[in-house]
Amino acid sequence: METKNHDNVCEESVFGTIFNDTSKTVFNYIYYKFGNEEKAHDAVQEAFVKLWENCAKVSPAKAKSFVYTVANNLYLNVIKAEKVRLKYADKTLKTTNESPEYLMEEAEFKQKLDRALNRLPENQRTTFLLNRIDGKKYAEIAELEGVSVKAIEKRMHLALKSLREKIDGI
Amino acid sequence: MQDNYLAKWLNNELTEAELAEFKKSEAYATYHRIREVSERLEAPHFDREQALMAVKNKRTLQETKVVQLNPFKKFLKVAAAISVLITASYFYLNTLGEKVTTQYAEHKEVVLPDNSEVILNADSQISYNSKNWESQRNVELDGEAFFKVAKGKRFTVTTDAGTVSVLGTQFNVEHRKDFFEVTCFEGLVSVLFKGQEKRLPAGTSLVAIKGALVDTHSPNTEVPSWVNSESSFKSIPLRYVLDEFERQHNIKVVTENVDLDQLYTGTFSNMDAELALQSISVPSRIKFKFEGNKVLFYAENTP
Repeated sequence: METKNHDNVCEESVFGTIFNDTSKTVFNYIYYKFGNEEKAHDAVQEAFVKLWENCAKVSPAKAKSFVYTVANNLYLNVIKAEKVRLKYADKTLKTTNESPEYLMEEAEFKQKLDRALNRLPENQRTTFLLNRIDGKKYAEIAELEGVSVKAIEKRMHLALKSLREKIDGI
Repeated sequence: MQDNYLAKWLNNELTEAELAEFKKSEAYATYHRIREVSERLEAPHFDREQALMAVKNKRTLQETKVVQLNPFKKFLKVAAAISVLITASYFYLNTLGEKVTTQYAEHKEVVLPDNSEVILNADSQISYNSKNWESQRNVELDGEAFFKVAKGKRFTVTTDAGTVSVLGTQFNVEHRKDFFEVTCFEGLVSVLFKGQEKRLPAGTSLVAIKGALVDTHSPNTEVPSWVNSESSFKSIPLRYVLDEFERQHNIKVVTENVDLDQLYTGTFSNMDAELALQSISVPSRIKFKFEGNKVLFYAENTP
């Protein structure tokens, strides 16, 4: 990372690397927040064009949090959250042994989880999905959201708690 | 159980004991299920390559926007050029200073910023800069003028033939074609002529004709005679006398068979042309024919 400091974000290759590392996270983050793919695409564009404009001022080490901050500020209180639609990866090989009852029950559970996820507060849903889908560590989610790791753990805890409550119908 | 234990559990950070206790709770089954199923969740498809292209396109789009700002830059260039011109011409005009000119048969009195007086003879011109007069008392002269200089710093009269400088005095400077004369009436005048400095005490003159110094007599008046409407000469070639007559009376002079190099000593009136003509012709032994605005001088012995 220290050697990277000598590079310049204005350099096409450095910019490309940062884009590959960060763009999908930005896209998913905005999508989890608002459930709007178009807005998520716009956020990626906006954030990286801003990064390019300020490439001389932003060091490669700071580029990631710069992009997160731009994306985060973009839709501040501007748009309404829509329904977040997520798919499930097929467990093609495992399914062979499972009974139709089990599959039915599984589909039902997924539906419940979907509903529960959409009823979560936006910051809890975002944290939960960034961790579950993107495999982001709490520390990185904290950086993205601009809050402490402790706060992310709290959100995660509350997210799990209310998901379970909604699924079990408590 | 510690704070946020669900988050810790998801991160595999619970201790053995805590985990065992959590597994015993009735909610555990659902939590476990959530953990398992959410592992298989997928976000919408995101094409990095396409997104990067989109960013690059927008980047170039914005870069051309910057190019569109150029008209303002052009305007700035023009504005800068104009302001440079204005400033330059302001300073240039400042250095030009004041200019006073007299025509034929015209005298003028000029009072300089320090109350020094200049009396300008006919067909003469002075220019000076009143802006920095305090630091530099300098007058450029072409023609003839009488100076009464107020006491103060060095006062300089510059002509093409030579430079006259004084501190405070009265003197006359005449610079005509091939003719240069400085007469000091009071104080001490220093004349820089052809690289040589000559000091003229009160009552002396310096005359140079065609760039060569000529012996001359001292003036016996307090001011140059022309200030009193007379023109006086002492051993001056006739051609310069006739030139002076032309200037004072605004009468065109034509000569025929007249030796213009003969020396003339005398005075003519600047008021009465007829009288002046006689003052010139009688001692020079030439005749003249005076018609309107023109006078013809001719030798006595020509028919």
